Amino acid sequence: MEIRIFQVVVPVLTLGFIINLILKYRKNNATAYELGLGILFWVCLTLFAIFPDFISRRIARLFGIKSNINAILFFCIGILFFFQFKLFSIIKKQQKEITFLTRKIALKEKEEE
Amino acid sequence: MLQDIHIFIPAYNEEKTIGKVIDEIQSYGFKNIIIVDDGSSDRTAEIARSKGAKVIRHILNRGAGAATQTALEYARNISSKHLVLMDADGQHHPEYIEKMWLDMRKNDADLIIGSRFLDRHENIPFLRRAYNWIGNGLINITCKYHYTDTQCGFRLLNRNAIHHLDLQIDNFAFCSEMIINAERKGLKIAESPVTVRYTDYSLGKGQGLAEGIRTIFSFWWKLIYGN
Repeated sequence: MEIRIFQVVVPVLTLGFIINLILKYRKNNATAYELGLGILFWVCLTLFAIFPDFISRRIARLFGIKSNINAILFFCIGILFFFQFKLFSIIKKQQKEITFLTRKIALKEKEEE
Repeated sequence: MLQDIHIFIPAYNEEKTIGKVIDEIQSYGFKNIIIVDDGSSDRTAEIARSKGAKVIRHILNRGAGAATQTALEYARNISSKHLVLMDADGQHHPEYIEKMWLDMRKNDADLIIGSRFLDRHENIPFLRRAYNWIGNGLINITCKYHYTDTQCGFRLLNRNAIHHLDLQIDNFAFCSEMIINAERKGLKIAESPVTVRYTDYSLGKGQGLAEGIRTIFSFWWKLIYGN
């Protein structure tokens, strides 16, 4: 099997990112969920970098898509939508908390007047 | 009647109109006027206080819906019997408050929605009518009953409504959310005809197309995902 440059670079980067994630977790700067999700993401990316043709063909077959390139594109768009949705939900939650605090402060100030 | 009604006006950077709006309301004999200053950076709060209104001040701008929910919570704290919601840009005539109050008694309603489309409505600009038509259509399909004006901010609530309504949406979509929320909590809703003054100022302050799309999006998001 011919080894291409990204098949070496991606696993090395992954190792760096996973070590960084573990250090963050140990310093309480990341939750167990974030650590697990991060490791899963980087491991998947590494596997895909090492076996690109095999994995893309499997995904194409799984979703019934003829070309493996199209399968990867659809798969990536799906992942991006998922993260976009997650991000939007987090922002909404934080906005709600800011509104709650703003209201509490306003009513408390009024009460103290 | 006058003593029982608390008039709440959510306001954001309304220094140009807030004084006149308060003067006009006071000229009809209403004394309990509360401005919810939604993080204005101008003299809105200062002018409102100088006119004798009470001011509740958000330290950050959170939107008309957030300010309305603050009004509801404050009304609960002071055990208000009736709460009127009016816009701060001078669109709404205080003369309709009495008519809304009478309609509330006549219909035994908990929530009265001012409707610009029950009577003559030739003074409503075409674009505003078009936005409202779309908005009404999109909201009415989610309601048990049909409403002629789901977007009008001129409303009267009785104690039952004050205690049961809980608004989660921060922006203008609160108008629609209030109706859905009231229906779900078994509150009785009725409409009362109102005429609205459209000026260049109030039209500039109102919802444009982009804000309208955001409003509809957040309303549907809340309906589907519940937050």
